[in-house]
Amino acid sequence: MAAASPLHRSLLGAPVIGGAAVVGFLIAWWVSAKSFDPMRIPQPGDVWDAAVQLATTGYAGGTLAQHTLQSIMLAFMGFAVAAGTALPIGLAMGMSRSAEAVFGPIVAFIRPIPPLAWIPLAIIWFGLGDGAKIFVIWFTAFVPTLINTFTGVRTVDPTIIAAARVHGAGPRRMLLDVILPGAAPLIFSGLRVSLQASWMALVAAELIGAFFGLGRVLMTAAQDIFPGMIVVAMAAVAVCGATMTWLLGVVERRCLPWLKVTP
Amino acid sequence: MSGIAFTDVTRAFERKGGAFQALEPVTLHVPDGEFVAIVGPSGCGKTTLLRLAAGLDHPTTGSVMVGGRAVTGPGPDRAVVFQQFALLPWKTVRQNIGFGLKCRGMSDAEARPLVERYLATMRLEGHGDSYPHQLSGGMQQRVAIARSFILEPEVLLMDEPFGALDAQTRIEMQEELIRLTAGQRRTVLFITHSVEEATYLADRVVVMAGRPGSVREIVDVASLRKAERWAERPVEEVMELDSFIRIRTRLWRLLRSAGAHRDDAATHTLPIAS
Repeated sequence: MAAASPLHRSLLGAPVIGGAAVVGFLIAWWVSAKSFDPMRIPQPGDVWDAAVQLATTGYAGGTLAQHTLQSIMLAFMGFAVAAGTALPIGLAMGMSRSAEAVFGPIVAFIRPIPPLAWIPLAIIWFGLGDGAKIFVIWFTAFVPTLINTFTGVRTVDPTIIAAARVHGAGPRRMLLDVILPGAAPLIFSGLRVSLQASWMALVAAELIGAFFGLGRVLMTAAQDIFPGMIVVAMAAVAVCGATMTWLLGVVERRCLPWLKVTP
Repeated sequence: MSGIAFTDVTRAFERKGGAFQALEPVTLHVPDGEFVAIVGPSGCGKTTLLRLAAGLDHPTTGSVMVGGRAVTGPGPDRAVVFQQFALLPWKTVRQNIGFGLKCRGMSDAEARPLVERYLATMRLEGHGDSYPHQLSGGMQQRVAIARSFILEPEVLLMDEPFGALDAQTRIEMQEELIRLTAGQRRTVLFITHSVEEATYLADRVVVMAGRPGSVREIVDVASLRKAERWAERPVEEVMELDSFIRIRTRLWRLLRSAGAHRDDAATHTLPIAS
C-alpha cells in the first residue's frame, strides 16, 4: 500500500484521533445509557446535573470546591512528607554502605505491604481525620521515591565522580553539583510514581472513612445509589491527579534544564 | 624529589579466587616539567599508575610522591583529563571550566575573567553557555583540558585523552597540547595506546609490558625533538621524518617483544599513521 500523503498524515495526527475517540466514547456512553437501566449507567445529562449540584448546593457535607481542596491538600501533604523523608534516606543509602545496611532491611520489609493494608492501623492510630490519610499516603508514596533516589545515586557515572574529586570537590560540592543532578532524572521519575500513588492511597483511605474529600463523595454516592455523582467524583479525582502530575513535570523541566536543550 | 616519583609500586586487586596483580614493582621518575608518555597493551597497568598519581587509588606496596609529598588522595597540585571527558552534563561550558575554582571557594566574579581567558585559549568562544552534549567530542575534550589547566596544577595527568576522538580531531588536539604545554611548562603524565601520539608529544616514552604491569623500557625523544624543532612543525611533517619513523618503529618492536597483545596495539595505533 502506498504511504499516506503528508496531508493525510497531518489530518490523522494524534490530536484528531484523540478527539474522535472522545466523541466516539460519549456517543457509545449515551447509546448504552439509553438502552440499559438508568439506575446503573448514568446518562450524560444526569452527570451534568450532578456536577451542577455538587458545585453549587453541595453534596456529602460540602461543595465540589471544598471536597477537592481537602483532597488536594491531603494528597499534597502526604506526598510532601513521603518525598521529604524518602529523598534524604535514599541519598544516604546511595552514598553510604552503612546507611544502606541500616535502612535496607526496613525498606525491604515495608515494600511488599499493600498500601491499603495500612488503613486499619491508620484509623486505630489517627481516627478518621487528616492524620490517618497522611500516614497512609506516606507509606504508599515513600518507597518509589526512595528506591529511585537510591538507584539514581548509585548509577551516577563513576568517572564524573572521579573528575569532580580530582578537581577539588568536597562533600558539599559533590552532593550539590554531582550526586543530586546526576540522580535527578531517576529521582523525578520516582516522584512521579509516588505522586500517583499518593492519589490512589488518598482516595482509598477516604472511601473507608472521611468527613470530607472526593473519596467521601464517592462513598456517599454509592450508598445513595447516585451513579451520576459517582462519575463526577471520579472525573474530579482524574483531573486533580493529572494536574498534579503535570505540575511536577513543569518543576522537573525547570530543575533539569540541560536535558531539554538539544544540539 | 619533585615531579612524580613511583618507588617500588605494586597494586593487587582482590578478585574471586585470589588477588590479581596489576602492577609488579614499578619505579619511575618523571622530573619537574617533563612530558612522559606511557604506552602499553590493555591491562598493562598504565591507567592504574595514573590513578595512583591522581590519588584515586592507593598502592598495595611502595610509595607515590608528587612534588615531594606522598600522595594520599586527590589534591590541588594535580589535575586529570579523562578519555571520556567526564564533564558535568548539567553544567554549562563556563561552569565546567570554572568548577575547580568554585571548589576552591572562588566567587563567580573572581573566576569569571580566568574562565573567559581559557574559553579564548581553547577556542571555545561563543560556546560558554552551551551544555557539553551540544558540543563535538573535540570541543568537549578542550573544555575538560581547560577545566584542568585553569587550576594551574604542577602535574597534569592525562588518561588516553584523545582516544575517543576521530583521527583528524585527534591530530588537532595533539598540536593544541604541544602549544599549551610550550606556553606553560608542566609535568605531564600521558597515557596512550598510540605509539605515534607518544612519539610526537613526549620527552620520554615509557613502554610497559602486561600482566602484571611493569616498565619494559624508556625511550628518550626530547633531544631529537629539540634538535629538529618538532614543536614548531605540523604533525604530518614530523611524522614523515626519518628520526620520527625510527623511534616509532623501535617502540613498536618493544611493544611486540614485551608480549603485548598484538591485535590490541595494532587497532589503536594504525589509524594515526594512515
